[in-house]
Amino acid sequence: MRIPRHQTPALRNKNVRLAWVLGGMAIFFLVTSFPFWTGLFRIVGTQAMP
Amino acid sequence: MTTTTLNHDEAHHHDMPTGWRRWLFSTNHKDIGTLYLLFALTMLFLGGASAMLIRLELFQPGIQLLDPDLYNNLVTNHALIMIFGAVMPAAAGLANWMIPMMIGAPDMALPRMNNLSFWILPAAATMLILSFVVPFFPGGGTQINTGWTLYPPLSVQVGMSMDFLIFAIHLLGISSVLASINIIVTLLNMRAPGMTLMTMPMFCWTWLVTAFLLILVVPVLAGGVTMLLFDRHFGTSFFDAAGGGDPVLFQHLFWFFGHPEVYILLLPSIGVLSHVIPAFSRKPLFGYKSMVGAMLTVATIGMVVWAHHQYTIGMSLGAVTYFMIGTILISIPVGLMIFNFIATMWRGAMTFETPMLFAVAIVLMFTFGGLSGVMLAVVPADMQYHDSMFVVAHFHYVLMPGAVFGLFAGVFYWLPKWTGHMYDETLGKIFFWTNVIGFNITFFPQHFLGLAGMPRRIVDYNMMFTEFNVISSIGAIIFGLSHLLLLYIVIKTIRGGKKAESRAWEGAKGLEWELDSPPAFHTWTVAPQIK
Repeated sequence: MRIPRHQTPALRNKNVRLAWVLGGMAIFFLVTSFPFWTGLFRIVGTQAMP
Repeated sequence: MTTTTLNHDEAHHHDMPTGWRRWLFSTNHKDIGTLYLLFALTMLFLGGASAMLIRLELFQPGIQLLDPDLYNNLVTNHALIMIFGAVMPAAAGLANWMIPMMIGAPDMALPRMNNLSFWILPAAATMLILSFVVPFFPGGGTQINTGWTLYPPLSVQVGMSMDFLIFAIHLLGISSVLASINIIVTLLNMRAPGMTLMTMPMFCWTWLVTAFLLILVVPVLAGGVTMLLFDRHFGTSFFDAAGGGDPVLFQHLFWFFGHPEVYILLLPSIGVLSHVIPAFSRKPLFGYKSMVGAMLTVATIGMVVWAHHQYTIGMSLGAVTYFMIGTILISIPVGLMIFNFIATMWRGAMTFETPMLFAVAIVLMFTFGGLSGVMLAVVPADMQYHDSMFVVAHFHYVLMPGAVFGLFAGVFYWLPKWTGHMYDETLGKIFFWTNVIGFNITFFPQHFLGLAGMPRRIVDYNMMFTEFNVISSIGAIIFGLSHLLLLYIVIKTIRGGKKAESRAWEGAKGLEWELDSPPAFHTWTVAPQIK
Protein backbone atom coordinates (compact mmCIF):
# COMPACT_ATOMS: atom_id res chain seq x y z
CA MET A 1 0.00 0.00 0.00
CA ARG A 2 1.36 3.40 -1.00
CA ILE A 3 1.86 5.69 1.96
CA PRO A 4 0.82 9.33 1.53
CA ARG A 5 3.88 11.55 1.60
CA HIS A 6 2.73 13.48 4.62
CA GLN A 7 2.31 10.38 6.80
CA THR A 8 4.86 8.17 8.48
CA PRO A 9 4.33 4.39 8.11
CA ALA A 10 3.36 4.24 11.80
CA LEU A 11 0.75 6.98 11.42
CA ARG A 12 -0.51 5.40 8.22
CA ASN A 13 -0.99 2.06 10.00
CA LYS A 14 -2.73 3.78 12.88
CA ASN A 15 -5.08 5.56 10.47
CA VAL A 16 -5.89 2.45 8.47
CA ARG A 17 -6.47 0.42 11.66
CA LEU A 18 -8.95 2.98 13.01
CA ALA A 19 -10.67 3.18 9.61
CA TRP A 20 -11.21 -0.59 9.65
CA VAL A 21 -12.63 -0.43 13.18
CA LEU A 22 -15.09 2.29 12.11
CA GLY A 23 -15.93 0.41 8.92
CA GLY A 24 -16.57 -2.69 11.00
CA MET A 25 -18.86 -0.68 13.22
CA ALA A 26 -20.87 0.45 10.17
CA ILE A 27 -21.16 -3.15 8.92
CA PHE A 28 -22.15 -4.29 12.41
CA PHE A 29 -25.00 -1.79 12.42
CA LEU A 30 -25.98 -2.84 8.92
CA VAL A 31 -26.40 -6.49 9.80
CA THR A 32 -27.52 -6.47 13.42
CA SER A 33 -29.56 -3.36 14.15
CA PHE A 34 -32.55 -4.71 12.25
CA PRO A 35 -33.95 -8.15 11.58
CA PHE A 36 -32.63 -8.36 8.06
CA TRP A 37 -30.66 -11.57 8.24
CA THR A 38 -33.05 -13.22 10.68
CA GLY A 39 -35.96 -12.48 8.39
CA LEU A 40 -34.07 -13.56 5.30
CA PHE A 41 -33.06 -16.88 6.83
CA ARG A 42 -36.60 -17.48 8.06
CA ILE A 43 -38.02 -16.80 4.63
CA VAL A 44 -35.42 -18.94 2.92
CA GLY A 45 -36.13 -21.70 5.46
CA THR A 46 -39.87 -21.48 4.92
CA GLN A 47 -39.55 -21.56 1.16
CA ALA A 48 -37.23 -24.53 1.33
CA MET A 49 -39.87 -26.61 3.11
CA PRO A 50 -41.87 -28.96 0.89
CA MET B 1 -4.47 28.89 21.68
CA THR B 2 -1.01 30.07 20.61
CA THR B 3 1.09 28.78 17.77
CA THR B 4 4.83 28.89 18.06
CA THR B 5 5.97 27.16 14.88
CA LEU B 6 4.47 28.12 11.57
CA ASN B 7 6.23 26.24 8.82
CA HIS B 8 3.44 26.39 6.31
CA ASP B 9 5.52 28.40 3.84
CA GLU B 10 7.29 25.19 3.01
CA ALA B 11 4.27 24.30 0.92
CA HIS B 12 4.91 24.61 -2.79
CA HIS B 13 2.94 24.11 -5.94
CA HIS B 14 5.63 22.06 -7.67
CA ASP B 15 3.66 18.81 -7.61
CA MET B 16 0.19 20.21 -8.22
CA PRO B 17 -1.43 18.27 -11.09
CA THR B 18 -3.13 20.29 -13.80
CA GLY B 19 -6.13 19.93 -16.08
CA TRP B 20 -8.84 17.36 -15.56
CA ARG B 21 -6.46 14.98 -13.80
CA ARG B 22 -6.16 17.47 -10.96
CA TRP B 23 -9.87 17.04 -10.22
CA LEU B 24 -10.55 13.44 -11.20
CA PHE B 25 -7.57 11.93 -9.38
CA SER B 26 -7.34 14.54 -6.65
CA THR B 27 -6.28 13.50 -3.18
CA ASN B 28 -5.89 17.08 -2.01
CA HIS B 29 -8.39 18.05 0.68
CA LYS B 30 -8.84 21.58 -0.69
CA ASP B 31 -9.58 20.40 -4.23
CA ILE B 32 -11.97 17.72 -2.98
CA GLY B 33 -13.62 20.32 -0.74
CA THR B 34 -14.10 22.54 -3.78
CA LEU B 35 -15.58 19.63 -5.74
CA TYR B 36 -18.03 18.90 -2.92
CA LEU B 37 -19.09 22.55 -2.76
CA LEU B 38 -19.56 22.84 -6.54
CA PHE B 39 -21.55 19.62 -6.57
CA ALA B 40 -23.73 20.88 -3.70
CA LEU B 41 -24.33 24.21 -5.47
CA THR B 42 -25.41 22.40 -8.63
CA MET B 43 -27.79 20.20 -6.68
CA LEU B 44 -29.10 23.21 -4.75
CA PHE B 45 -30.27 24.69 -8.04
CA LEU B 46 -31.72 21.38 -9.20
CA GLY B 47 -33.60 20.88 -5.93
CA GLY B 48 -34.59 24.53 -5.99
CA ALA B 49 -36.03 24.16 -9.51
CA SER B 50 -38.25 21.30 -8.31
CA ALA B 51 -39.35 23.45 -5.35
CA MET B 52 -40.25 26.30 -7.70
CA LEU B 53 -42.37 23.93 -9.80
CA ILE B 54 -44.13 22.72 -6.65
CA ARG B 55 -44.91 26.28 -5.57
CA LEU B 56 -46.01 27.29 -9.08
CA GLU B 57 -48.45 24.39 -9.06
CA LEU B 58 -49.79 25.47 -5.66
CA PHE B 59 -50.10 29.12 -6.72
CA GLN B 60 -53.77 28.51 -7.47
CA PRO B 61 -56.25 25.79 -6.46
CA GLY B 62 -56.95 23.19 -9.11
CA ILE B 63 -54.44 21.37 -11.24
CA GLN B 64 -52.28 23.89 -13.15
CA LEU B 65 -49.09 22.34 -14.50
CA LEU B 66 -48.48 18.91 -13.01
CA ASP B 67 -50.48 15.71 -12.74
CA PRO B 68 -50.78 14.36 -9.17
CA ASP B 69 -48.14 11.63 -9.54
CA LEU B 70 -45.63 13.99 -11.14
CA TYR B 71 -46.28 16.49 -8.35
CA ASN B 72 -45.55 13.85 -5.73
CA ASN B 73 -42.48 12.73 -7.67
CA LEU B 74 -41.23 16.32 -7.56
CA VAL B 75 -41.88 16.45 -3.80
CA THR B 76 -39.88 13.23 -3.38
CA ASN B 77 -37.02 14.41 -5.57
CA HIS B 78 -36.90 17.87 -4.02
CA ALA B 79 -36.38 16.41 -0.55
CA LEU B 80 -33.83 13.78 -1.57
CA ILE B 81 -31.82 16.18 -3.74
CA MET B 82 -31.76 18.88 -1.08
CA ILE B 83 -30.85 16.54 1.81
CA PHE B 84 -28.45 14.11 0.13
CA GLY B 85 -27.33 16.22 -2.81
CA ALA B 86 -27.08 19.76 -1.47
CA VAL B 87 -26.85 20.04 2.33
CA MET B 88 -24.78 16.96 3.19
CA PRO B 89 -22.20 17.44 0.39
CA ALA B 90 -21.96 21.18 1.19
CA ALA B 91 -21.22 20.35 4.83
CA ALA B 92 -18.70 17.73 3.68
CA GLY B 93 -17.13 20.37 1.43
CA LEU B 94 -16.66 22.72 4.38
CA ALA B 95 -15.24 19.81 6.41
CA ASN B 96 -12.77 18.88 3.69
CA TRP B 97 -11.59 22.42 3.23
CA MET B 98 -11.40 23.47 6.84
CA ILE B 99 -10.73 20.50 9.15
CA PRO B 100 -7.11 19.83 8.10
CA MET B 101 -6.31 23.56 8.14
CA MET B 102 -8.00 23.98 11.54
CA ILE B 103 -6.20 21.11 13.25
CA GLY B 104 -2.80 21.70 11.64
CA ALA B 105 -2.87 18.54 9.50
CA PRO B 106 -1.36 18.42 6.00
CA ASP B 107 -4.37 16.63 4.55
CA MET B 108 -7.16 14.18 5.42
CA ALA B 109 -5.97 10.92 6.98
CA LEU B 110 -7.08 8.77 4.02
CA PRO B 111 -6.68 10.93 0.91
CA ARG B 112 -7.53 8.30 -1.72
CA MET B 113 -10.65 7.28 0.16
CA ASN B 114 -11.52 10.96 0.21
CA ASN B 115 -11.40 10.97 -3.59
CA LEU B 116 -13.62 7.87 -3.71
CA SER B 117 -16.15 9.39 -1.26
CA PHE B 118 -16.62 12.35 -3.55
CA TRP B 119 -16.67 10.59 -6.92
CA ILE B 120 -19.38 8.19 -5.78
CA LEU B 121 -21.65 11.23 -5.45
CA PRO B 122 -22.03 12.13 -9.15
CA ALA B 123 -22.89 8.49 -9.86
CA ALA B 124 -25.46 8.55 -7.06
CA ALA B 125 -26.89 11.84 -8.31
CA THR B 126 -27.22 10.35 -11.79
CA MET B 127 -29.20 7.42 -10.38
CA LEU B 128 -31.33 9.84 -8.36
CA ILE B 129 -32.10 11.98 -11.41
CA LEU B 130 -32.78 8.85 -13.48
CA SER B 131 -35.35 7.77 -10.89
CA PHE B 132 -37.19 10.97 -11.75
CA VAL B 133 -36.69 10.77 -15.51
CA VAL B 134 -37.27 7.06 -16.22
CA PRO B 135 -41.10 7.17 -15.90
CA PHE B 136 -41.25 9.61 -18.82
CA PHE B 137 -39.94 6.91 -21.18
CA PRO B 138 -42.07 4.11 -22.65
CA GLY B 139 -42.03 1.16 -20.25
CA GLY B 140 -40.53 3.34 -17.52
CA GLY B 141 -43.29 2.51 -15.06
CA THR B 142 -45.04 4.80 -12.63
CA GLN B 143 -43.71 7.90 -10.88
CA ILE B 144 -42.27 7.70 -7.37
CA ASN B 145 -45.15 9.20 -5.46
CA THR B 146 -44.13 8.14 -1.96
CA GLY B 147 -42.37 11.24 -0.69
CA TRP B 148 -38.80 10.94 0.61
CA THR B 149 -39.94 8.54 3.36
CA LEU B 150 -40.53 5.77 0.79
CA TYR B 151 -43.14 4.03 2.94
CA PRO B 152 -44.38 0.63 1.78
CA PRO B 153 -46.73 -0.66 0.49
CA LEU B 154 -46.68 2.25 -2.01
CA SER B 155 -42.91 2.00 -2.50
CA VAL B 156 -43.26 -1.72 -3.28
CA GLN B 157 -45.90 -1.02 -5.89
CA VAL B 158 -44.34 1.84 -7.90
CA GLY B 159 -42.37 1.20 -11.07
CA MET B 160 -38.71 0.57 -11.82
CA SER B 161 -37.77 4.15 -10.95
CA MET B 162 -37.85 3.05 -7.31
CA ASP B 163 -35.00 0.63 -8.03
CA PHE B 164 -32.91 3.52 -9.34
CA LEU B 165 -33.74 5.43 -6.19
CA ILE B 166 -32.81 2.53 -3.89
CA PHE B 167 -29.49 2.15 -5.70
CA ALA B 168 -28.91 5.90 -5.42
CA ILE B 169 -29.52 5.71 -1.66
CA HIS B 170 -27.04 2.84 -1.37
CA LEU B 171 -24.39 4.84 -3.20
CA LEU B 172 -25.08 7.98 -1.18
CA GLY B 173 -24.85 5.93 2.01
CA ILE B 174 -21.50 4.41 1.01
CA SER B 175 -20.16 7.87 0.20
CA SER B 176 -21.36 9.29 3.53
CA VAL B 177 -19.94 6.43 5.60
CA LEU B 178 -16.55 6.58 3.85
CA ALA B 179 -16.39 10.35 4.30
CA SER B 180 -17.35 9.97 7.98
CA ILE B 181 -14.66 7.37 8.60
CA ASN B 182 -12.12 9.70 7.01
CA ILE B 183 -13.21 12.66 9.12
CA ILE B 184 -13.14 10.70 12.39
CA VAL B 185 -9.70 9.24 11.66
CA THR B 186 -8.40 12.69 10.69
CA LEU B 187 -9.75 14.32 13.85
CA LEU B 188 -8.55 11.59 16.20
CA ASN B 189 -5.12 10.87 14.67
CA MET B 190 -3.98 13.92 12.74
CA ARG B 191 -4.29 16.83 15.18
CA ALA B 192 -1.23 19.01 15.62
CA PRO B 193 0.88 18.25 18.70
CA GLY B 194 -0.58 20.00 21.71
CA MET B 195 -4.13 20.19 20.35
CA THR B 196 -6.34 18.10 22.62
CA LEU B 197 -9.91 17.12 21.91
CA MET B 198 -11.07 19.81 24.34
CA THR B 199 -9.06 22.53 22.62
CA MET B 200 -10.13 21.45 19.14
CA PRO B 201 -12.10 24.07 17.15
CA MET B 202 -15.85 23.68 17.65
CA PHE B 203 -16.47 23.09 13.92
CA CYS B 204 -14.27 19.99 14.26
CA TRP B 205 -16.23 18.83 17.30
CA THR B 206 -19.54 19.19 15.49
CA TRP B 207 -18.18 17.15 12.59
CA LEU B 208 -16.80 14.47 14.93
CA VAL B 209 -20.28 13.97 16.39
CA THR B 210 -21.93 14.21 12.96
CA ALA B 211 -19.59 11.59 11.50
CA PHE B 212 -20.30 9.14 14.34
CA LEU B 213 -24.03 9.69 13.88
CA LEU B 214 -23.69 8.97 10.16
CA ILE B 215 -21.83 5.72 10.79
CA LEU B 216 -24.49 4.63 13.27
CA VAL B 217 -27.63 5.42 11.29
CA VAL B 218 -26.88 5.33 7.56
CA PRO B 219 -26.33 1.53 7.56
CA VAL B 220 -29.80 1.11 9.05
CA LEU B 221 -31.35 3.04 6.15
CA ALA B 222 -29.26 0.94 3.77
CA GLY B 223 -30.67 -2.18 5.42
CA GLY B 224 -34.23 -0.84 5.21
CA VAL B 225 -34.07 -0.06 1.50
CA THR B 226 -32.33 -3.38 0.84
CA MET B 227 -35.27 -5.15 2.44
CA LEU B 228 -37.55 -3.00 0.27
CA LEU B 229 -35.61 -4.15 -2.79
CA PHE B 230 -36.02 -7.77 -1.68
CA ASP B 231 -39.77 -7.27 -1.22
CA ARG B 232 -39.99 -5.75 -4.69
CA HIS B 233 -38.02 -8.37 -6.59
CA PHE B 234 -37.21 -11.48 -4.59
CA GLY B 235 -40.54 -12.50 -3.16
CA THR B 236 -39.83 -11.63 0.47
CA SER B 237 -42.47 -10.10 2.73
CA PHE B 238 -40.56 -7.96 5.19
CA PHE B 239 -43.09 -5.15 4.81
CA ASP B 240 -46.02 -7.02 3.31
CA ALA B 241 -48.72 -7.83 5.85
CA ALA B 242 -50.20 -10.47 3.53
CA GLY B 243 -46.96 -12.42 3.74
CA GLY B 244 -46.54 -12.02 7.50
CA GLY B 245 -44.47 -8.83 7.28
CA ASP B 246 -45.13 -5.41 8.75
CA PRO B 247 -45.10 -2.11 6.81
CA VAL B 248 -44.59 -0.24 10.09
CA LEU B 249 -41.20 -1.96 10.46
CA PHE B 250 -39.97 0.11 7.52
CA GLN B 251 -41.18 3.29 9.21
CA HIS B 252 -39.13 2.42 12.31
CA LEU B 253 -36.04 1.65 10.23
CA PHE B 254 -36.46 4.79 8.16
CA TRP B 255 -36.93 7.12 11.12
CA PHE B 256 -34.13 5.48 13.11
CA PHE B 257 -32.07 7.01 10.33
CA GLY B 258 -34.33 9.95 9.52
CA HIS B 259 -34.45 11.65 12.89
CA PRO B 260 -30.69 11.62 13.61
CA GLU B 261 -30.35 12.82 10.00
CA VAL B 262 -31.88 16.09 11.16
CA TYR B 263 -28.95 16.53 13.58
CA ILE B 264 -26.53 15.38 10.89
CA LEU B 265 -27.76 18.31 8.81
CA LEU B 266 -27.82 20.77 11.73
CA LEU B 267 -24.61 20.13 13.63
CA PRO B 268 -22.07 21.25 11.00
CA SER B 269 -23.93 24.55 10.79
CA ILE B 270 -23.85 24.87 14.58
CA GLY B 271 -20.09 24.40 14.18
CA VAL B 272 -19.95 27.24 11.65
CA LEU B 273 -21.90 29.51 14.00
CA SER B 274 -19.46 28.68 16.79
CA HIS B 275 -16.78 30.41 14.71
CA VAL B 276 -18.79 33.17 13.04
CA ILE B 277 -20.48 34.55 16.17
CA PRO B 278 -17.26 34.84 18.25
CA ALA B 279 -15.40 36.38 15.26
CA PHE B 280 -17.98 39.13 14.68
CA SER B 281 -18.65 39.65 18.41
CA ARG B 282 -14.89 39.85 19.08
CA LYS B 283 -15.29 37.54 22.05
CA PRO B 284 -14.41 33.90 22.65
CA LEU B 285 -17.23 31.37 22.35
CA PHE B 286 -19.20 31.29 25.60
CA GLY B 287 -19.32 27.85 27.26
CA TYR B 288 -17.09 25.68 25.03
CA LYS B 289 -17.39 22.64 27.30
CA SER B 290 -21.14 23.01 27.66
CA MET B 291 -21.44 23.23 23.86
CA VAL B 292 -19.58 19.93 23.53
CA GLY B 293 -21.75 18.38 26.25
CA ALA B 294 -24.93 19.71 24.65
CA MET B 295 -23.93 18.32 21.27
CA LEU B 296 -23.21 14.88 22.69
CA THR B 297 -26.54 14.97 24.57
CA VAL B 298 -28.44 15.99 21.44
CA ALA B 299 -26.80 13.17 19.48
CA THR B 300 -27.50 10.59 22.21
CA ILE B 301 -31.13 11.52 22.83
CA GLY B 302 -31.66 12.13 19.11
CA MET B 303 -30.84 8.47 18.46
CA VAL B 304 -33.68 7.17 20.64
CA VAL B 305 -36.69 9.37 19.84
CA TRP B 306 -37.30 8.47 16.19
CA ALA B 307 -40.91 7.35 16.60
CA HIS B 308 -42.21 10.87 17.26
CA HIS B 309 -42.56 10.92 13.46
CA GLN B 310 -45.01 8.04 13.77
CA TYR B 311 -47.43 8.97 16.56
CA THR B 312 -50.43 8.20 14.37
CA ILE B 313 -49.51 4.55 13.66
CA GLY B 314 -51.16 3.33 16.87
CA MET B 315 -48.36 2.79 19.38
CA SER B 316 -49.04 1.96 23.02
CA LEU B 317 -49.61 4.80 25.47
CA GLY B 318 -46.32 4.00 27.19
CA ALA B 319 -44.41 4.15 23.91
CA VAL B 320 -45.85 7.48 22.76
CA THR B 321 -45.29 8.96 26.23
CA TYR B 322 -41.65 7.89 26.15
CA PHE B 323 -41.10 9.29 22.67
CA MET B 324 -42.89 12.53 23.57
CA ILE B 325 -40.85 13.14 26.74
CA GLY B 326 -37.59 12.21 25.01
CA THR B 327 -38.31 14.59 22.16
CA ILE B 328 -39.17 17.50 24.45
CA LEU B 329 -35.99 16.81 26.45
CA ILE B 330 -33.90 17.54 23.33
CA SER B 331 -35.01 21.16 23.53
CA ILE B 332 -32.86 21.55 26.70
CA PRO B 333 -29.41 20.97 25.13
CA VAL B 334 -30.48 22.74 21.92
CA GLY B 335 -31.67 25.69 24.00
CA LEU B 336 -28.34 25.66 25.82
CA MET B 337 -26.51 26.04 22.49
CA ILE B 338 -28.73 28.97 21.55
CA PHE B 339 -28.17 30.63 24.96
CA ASN B 340 -24.41 30.13 24.53
CA PHE B 341 -24.58 31.95 21.18
CA ILE B 342 -26.56 34.80 22.73
CA ALA B 343 -24.13 34.97 25.68
CA THR B 344 -21.24 35.12 23.18
CA MET B 345 -22.87 38.13 21.51
CA TRP B 346 -23.71 39.77 24.84
CA ARG B 347 -21.71 42.98 25.24
CA GLY B 348 -19.50 42.00 22.32
CA ALA B 349 -18.18 44.56 19.85
CA MET B 350 -20.55 43.25 17.22
CA THR B 351 -20.46 44.08 13.54
CA PHE B 352 -22.91 42.75 11.00
CA GLU B 353 -21.12 41.48 7.94
CA THR B 354 -23.00 38.91 5.86
CA PRO B 355 -21.88 35.80 7.82
CA MET B 356 -22.96 37.46 11.08
CA LEU B 357 -26.30 38.51 9.60
CA PHE B 358 -26.96 34.89 8.72
CA ALA B 359 -25.83 33.84 12.20
CA VAL B 360 -28.26 36.21 13.93
CA ALA B 361 -31.04 35.12 11.57
CA ILE B 362 -30.32 31.50 12.44
CA VAL B 363 -30.51 32.15 16.18
CA LEU B 364 -33.92 33.80 15.74
CA MET B 365 -35.50 31.61 13.08
CA PHE B 366 -34.10 28.26 14.15
CA THR B 367 -35.47 28.96 17.63
CA PHE B 368 -38.84 29.62 16.03
CA GLY B 369 -38.64 26.30 14.16
CA GLY B 370 -37.64 24.60 17.40
CA LEU B 371 -40.70 26.00 19.18
CA SER B 372 -43.08 24.62 16.54
CA GLY B 373 -41.11 21.36 17.00
CA VAL B 374 -42.06 21.30 20.67
CA MET B 375 -45.70 21.74 19.59
CA LEU B 376 -45.36 18.76 17.25
CA ALA B 377 -43.69 16.67 19.94
CA VAL B 378 -46.86 16.75 22.05
CA VAL B 379 -48.85 13.66 21.08
CA PRO B 380 -52.45 14.95 21.17
CA ALA B 381 -51.46 18.12 19.30
CA ASP B 382 -49.46 16.17 16.72
CA MET B 383 -52.49 14.00 16.00
CA GLN B 384 -54.06 17.20 14.58
CA TYR B 385 -50.99 18.66 12.88
CA HIS B 386 -49.75 15.38 11.40
CA ASP B 387 -49.23 15.37 7.61
CA SER B 388 -50.40 18.98 7.36
CA MET B 389 -48.64 22.01 5.89
CA PHE B 390 -47.79 22.97 9.49
CA VAL B 391 -45.21 20.17 9.47
CA VAL B 392 -43.82 21.46 6.15
CA ALA B 393 -43.48 24.95 7.67
CA HIS B 394 -41.87 23.52 10.82
CA PHE B 395 -39.16 21.47 9.15
CA HIS B 396 -38.32 24.20 6.67
CA TYR B 397 -37.90 26.63 9.60
CA VAL B 398 -35.58 24.10 11.24
CA LEU B 399 -33.59 23.03 8.20
CA MET B 400 -33.31 26.23 6.17
CA PRO B 401 -31.99 28.43 8.98
CA GLY B 402 -30.48 25.56 10.99
CA ALA B 403 -28.64 23.89 8.13
CA VAL B 404 -28.64 25.93 4.91
CA PHE B 405 -28.22 29.43 6.37
CA GLY B 406 -25.41 28.03 8.51
CA LEU B 407 -23.71 26.77 5.36
CA PHE B 408 -24.23 30.17 3.69
CA ALA B 409 -22.66 31.81 6.78
CA GLY B 410 -19.71 29.41 6.45
CA VAL B 411 -19.29 30.06 2.74
CA PHE B 412 -19.26 33.85 3.23
CA TYR B 413 -16.98 33.54 6.28
CA TRP B 414 -14.37 31.34 4.57
CA LEU B 415 -14.74 32.51 0.95
CA PRO B 416 -11.94 35.10 1.40
CA LYS B 417 -9.69 32.35 2.76
CA TRP B 418 -10.48 30.00 -0.14
CA THR B 419 -10.28 32.47 -3.00
CA GLY B 420 -7.90 35.12 -1.65
CA HIS B 421 -10.50 37.80 -2.44
CA MET B 422 -13.05 39.59 -0.31
CA TYR B 423 -16.60 39.14 -1.61
CA ASP B 424 -18.74 42.19 -2.38
CA GLU B 425 -20.23 43.03 1.03
CA THR B 426 -23.09 45.11 -0.42
CA LEU B 427 -24.16 42.26 -2.69
CA GLY B 428 -23.77 39.84 0.23
CA LYS B 429 -26.16 41.90 2.33
CA ILE B 430 -28.65 42.22 -0.55
CA PHE B 431 -28.51 38.43 -0.90
CA PHE B 432 -29.08 38.00 2.83
CA TRP B 433 -32.13 40.24 2.99
CA THR B 434 -33.81 38.93 -0.18
CA ASN B 435 -33.09 35.36 0.93
CA VAL B 436 -34.38 35.75 4.47
CA ILE B 437 -37.42 37.85 3.51
CA GLY B 438 -38.25 35.46 0.65
CA PHE B 439 -37.89 32.48 2.98
CA ASN B 440 -40.25 33.94 5.60
CA ILE B 441 -42.86 34.97 3.04
CA THR B 442 -42.75 31.43 1.67
CA PHE B 443 -42.95 29.40 4.82
CA PHE B 444 -44.58 31.52 7.54
CA PRO B 445 -48.06 31.37 5.89
CA GLN B 446 -47.76 27.58 5.69
CA HIS B 447 -48.21 27.41 9.48
CA PHE B 448 -51.67 28.92 9.07
CA LEU B 449 -52.45 26.65 6.11
CA GLY B 450 -51.60 23.62 8.20
CA LEU B 451 -53.54 24.79 11.23
CA ALA B 452 -56.53 25.42 8.96
CA GLY B 453 -56.32 21.83 7.75
CA MET B 454 -54.43 21.86 4.43
CA PRO B 455 -52.69 18.51 3.99
CA ARG B 456 -49.16 18.18 2.61
CA ARG B 457 -48.20 16.20 -0.52
CA ILE B 458 -51.49 17.06 -2.25
CA VAL B 459 -51.46 18.68 -5.68
CA ASP B 460 -54.82 20.43 -5.30
CA TYR B 461 -56.46 22.20 -2.39
CA ASN B 462 -59.69 23.77 -1.20
CA MET B 463 -60.49 27.34 -2.31
CA MET B 464 -60.30 28.53 1.32
CA PHE B 465 -56.51 28.03 1.29
CA THR B 466 -55.91 30.19 -1.81
CA GLU B 467 -54.71 33.47 -0.27
CA PHE B 468 -51.96 32.01 1.89
CA ASN B 469 -50.82 29.77 -0.97
CA VAL B 470 -50.56 32.77 -3.31
CA ILE B 471 -48.43 34.61 -0.70
CA SER B 472 -46.30 31.51 -0.17
CA SER B 473 -45.70 31.06 -3.90
CA ILE B 474 -44.75 34.73 -4.40
CA GLY B 475 -42.30 34.36 -1.51
CA ALA B 476 -40.90 31.22 -3.13
CA ILE B 477 -40.19 33.10 -6.36
CA ILE B 478 -38.27 35.81 -4.43
CA PHE B 479 -36.51 33.16 -2.35
CA GLY B 480 -35.60 30.97 -5.32
CA LEU B 481 -34.34 33.80 -7.53
CA SER B 482 -32.23 35.22 -4.68
CA HIS B 483 -29.93 32.21 -5.05
CA LEU B 484 -28.87 33.44 -8.48
CA LEU B 485 -27.30 36.37 -6.63
CA LEU B 486 -25.38 33.90 -4.44
CA LEU B 487 -24.04 32.26 -7.59
CA TYR B 488 -23.03 35.65 -9.00
CA ILE B 489 -21.28 36.66 -5.76
CA VAL B 490 -19.32 33.40 -5.60
CA ILE B 491 -18.21 33.63 -9.27
CA LYS B 492 -17.31 37.33 -8.87
CA THR B 493 -15.24 36.57 -5.76
CA ILE B 494 -13.40 33.70 -7.44
CA ARG B 495 -12.57 35.92 -10.42
CA GLY B 496 -11.24 38.86 -8.42
CA GLY B 497 -11.90 41.54 -5.86
CA LYS B 498 -10.14 43.18 -2.97
CA LYS B 499 -7.20 41.08 -1.79
CA ALA B 500 -7.99 39.15 1.39
CA GLU B 501 -5.45 39.17 4.19
CA SER B 502 -4.39 35.97 5.96
CA ARG B 503 -6.75 36.90 8.79
CA ALA B 504 -9.63 38.09 6.66
CA TRP B 505 -11.78 39.04 9.64
CA GLU B 506 -10.51 41.10 12.54
CA GLY B 507 -11.97 38.84 15.21
CA ALA B 508 -11.22 35.50 13.52
CA LYS B 509 -9.18 33.05 15.59
CA GLY B 510 -7.67 29.67 14.74
CA LEU B 511 -4.90 27.97 12.81
CA GLU B 512 -6.63 28.38 9.45
CA TRP B 513 -6.21 32.15 9.70
CA GLU B 514 -2.42 31.78 10.10
CA LEU B 515 -2.25 30.51 6.51
CA ASP B 516 -2.13 32.68 3.42
CA SER B 517 -5.35 33.59 1.59
CA PRO B 518 -5.67 31.59 -0.58
CA PRO B 519 -3.65 28.89 1.15
CA ALA B 520 -0.90 27.00 -0.67
CA PHE B 521 -1.75 23.69 -2.36
CA HIS B 522 -0.08 21.83 0.52
CA THR B 523 -0.37 23.35 3.98
CA TRP B 524 0.93 22.38 7.42
CA THR B 525 3.51 20.02 5.90
CA VAL B 526 5.27 20.57 9.22
CA ALA B 527 2.80 20.45 12.07
CA PRO B 528 2.41 23.63 14.10
CA GLN B 529 3.09 23.40 17.82
CA ILE B 530 0.11 24.35 19.93
CA LYS B 531 0.77 25.80 23.38
